[in-house]
Amino acid sequence: MSSETLYVYAIIPAGSPAPTGAGINGSQLHTVEAEPVSAVVHTHHAGPYEGPDEDVKRWVLEHSDVIEECWNQASSVLPVSFNVMVQASETSGATAAEQLRGWLQDSGQELKQRLQELAGTSELRVEIALDAAQFPQNEPEVLEATRELAGKPAGVRRLLEKRLEKVQRRLTDAGADRLYPDYRMRLAAQCQQIQDYATTQRPEGTVSVLSAACLVDSERISELGAELTQIQQEQPSARIRFLGPWPPYSFVDIDAGAGSASTPQEGKSSAET
Amino acid sequence: MSENHLPPAHGSAVEQPSALQPTRDPGATLPDLLEVLLNKGVHLNLDLIISVADVPLIGVNLRATIAGIETMIEYGMMRQWDDQTRAWVQRSLSRHLPMADGEEVVAAMAASHLRDDFQRIWRPGRAYLTTHRLIVHRRDPAETLWQTRLDSIASAESYTEPSVGGEDRMRLKIVLHDGSVARLSALDADRLLTLIRQQRQVPGGAQAESAAAEDQGPRMRGTMWYLETFAQGATWRGGKATLTREGMLTWKSPLDNRASLRIEPAQLKAVHLEKHSNPTSQAQVLRVETTSGEVRLAGPDLHKWHQLLHDDTESGQEVDHGAGSQ
Repeated sequence: MSSETLYVYAIIPAGSPAPTGAGINGSQLHTVEAEPVSAVVHTHHAGPYEGPDEDVKRWVLEHSDVIEECWNQASSVLPVSFNVMVQASETSGATAAEQLRGWLQDSGQELKQRLQELAGTSELRVEIALDAAQFPQNEPEVLEATRELAGKPAGVRRLLEKRLEKVQRRLTDAGADRLYPDYRMRLAAQCQQIQDYATTQRPEGTVSVLSAACLVDSERISELGAELTQIQQEQPSARIRFLGPWPPYSFVDIDAGAGSASTPQEGKSSAET
Repeated sequence: MSENHLPPAHGSAVEQPSALQPTRDPGATLPDLLEVLLNKGVHLNLDLIISVADVPLIGVNLRATIAGIETMIEYGMMRQWDDQTRAWVQRSLSRHLPMADGEEVVAAMAASHLRDDFQRIWRPGRAYLTTHRLIVHRRDPAETLWQTRLDSIASAESYTEPSVGGEDRMRLKIVLHDGSVARLSALDADRLLTLIRQQRQVPGGAQAESAAAEDQGPRMRGTMWYLETFAQGATWRGGKATLTREGMLTWKSPLDNRASLRIEPAQLKAVHLEKHSNPTSQAQVLRVETTSGEVRLAGPDLHKWHQLLHDDTESGQEVDHGAGSQ
């Protein structure tokens, strides 16, 4: 069995220049060209990357640097997940490059279409949370519970504080339910697509309203930013994280090889008159 | 007719505040970037291509830090995961906690079980609620401290008692059909109790709250498509619509964290059936006019939805008139 594999970083339109920078651990990049699309790869002689967390973090960042460079150079890019490698075939004897080229040709139309759709777009991440102490501070229930605290011995206080915290969270969560539809609608108006995701990190003492990956026309990022500024001004207890711009990682939407998973263009209803 | 659904400009455009700038500072975005690079992007899952973006190869520690797997399990988000990640979690759990075929973890959290034989000791571990069982398991040294099949649970209720430190702590009392009683404490006992009850319709104990609210259920609930407006055109998204007893209409996609549509009775102005292209086999959709714009919904039973909402607008208007004539 050949131990030579190809580590894949990204899919780019055919004929795009290969990135000039280095890949993971300084490895040299090249492209595997097929008709409609090409893949950016390095020749890999070992197994998948594994090791201490710090190393993996560095590799993942190096991986993302390559995608960034492709994104800056080519008209469009489909990022490939970390640690995806193409192997030579044991049965047919095809080399890794032949295998990959075959796959690029087979999935080419789908990949090409998605590349076209994603051209000129960026992914931005918006996380809006509410400060659970600040948001409901004027609610009668909170004021009442706060008054009760005064002059109580420490042990009782601690208990009452716990209770107050619960009330604050409940009221803030109800507030988040009320605010979500408005925020979602206003962000959607600035985006081509939106995808909610589960927040992996939530600042202490806040309740998440909305965490969304936004696919945005790269020229219109500042408009999304302006909308967030508005939201911040209207809602001082909002804690907003605004990340990016990144290549459209969350919007690749392709499970290539597993049948046609491409989303039909059911949207874009032009009947909106 | 103008179809500008956007809310009116907030504030005036005279004093335009500067737009919030997105950050690319790796210090702030690293965990997000890692998460996205490990979970998103093209997966090549042909058999001739080995996709090793699957987690075990990368190492458990990093995965735990970046995706907050434990946290996600604790928040019961397992169901939203893709199959790959879920399979990995199952594998990694089953290394120390054997699972039956088809058994899946619904939630896990720090917990302890009260051993109450010759002496009373709270033994700490983690509670795992699976589709089949409730387990308190200690990883190191590995020991299952207590477990029961969900269908053996006769009742589950919460109570509070002072802990050793003097603070009131919420405990769970689980009564089994064989009459035995187990007492557990858990990081979020409330949530664990709710999930146990959801997982298996376990009645509450003596002091459990009345189930009246659940009995009543919403007035109507069903599959519904919602036309969401984006920068370029609009997209029909699948989800569920609910009309509550109180007359609030909501629509939520299973992919979203909260309901995208939330129309209080007072906001509902009118409903119409109209011809409009939509993903269902029907020609008509429901156009709902609200105080802040209008939305379109499509789905089965549209006439019934229309009827219910129409009745609501009539009664809503009566109330409005009453209020206005004061």
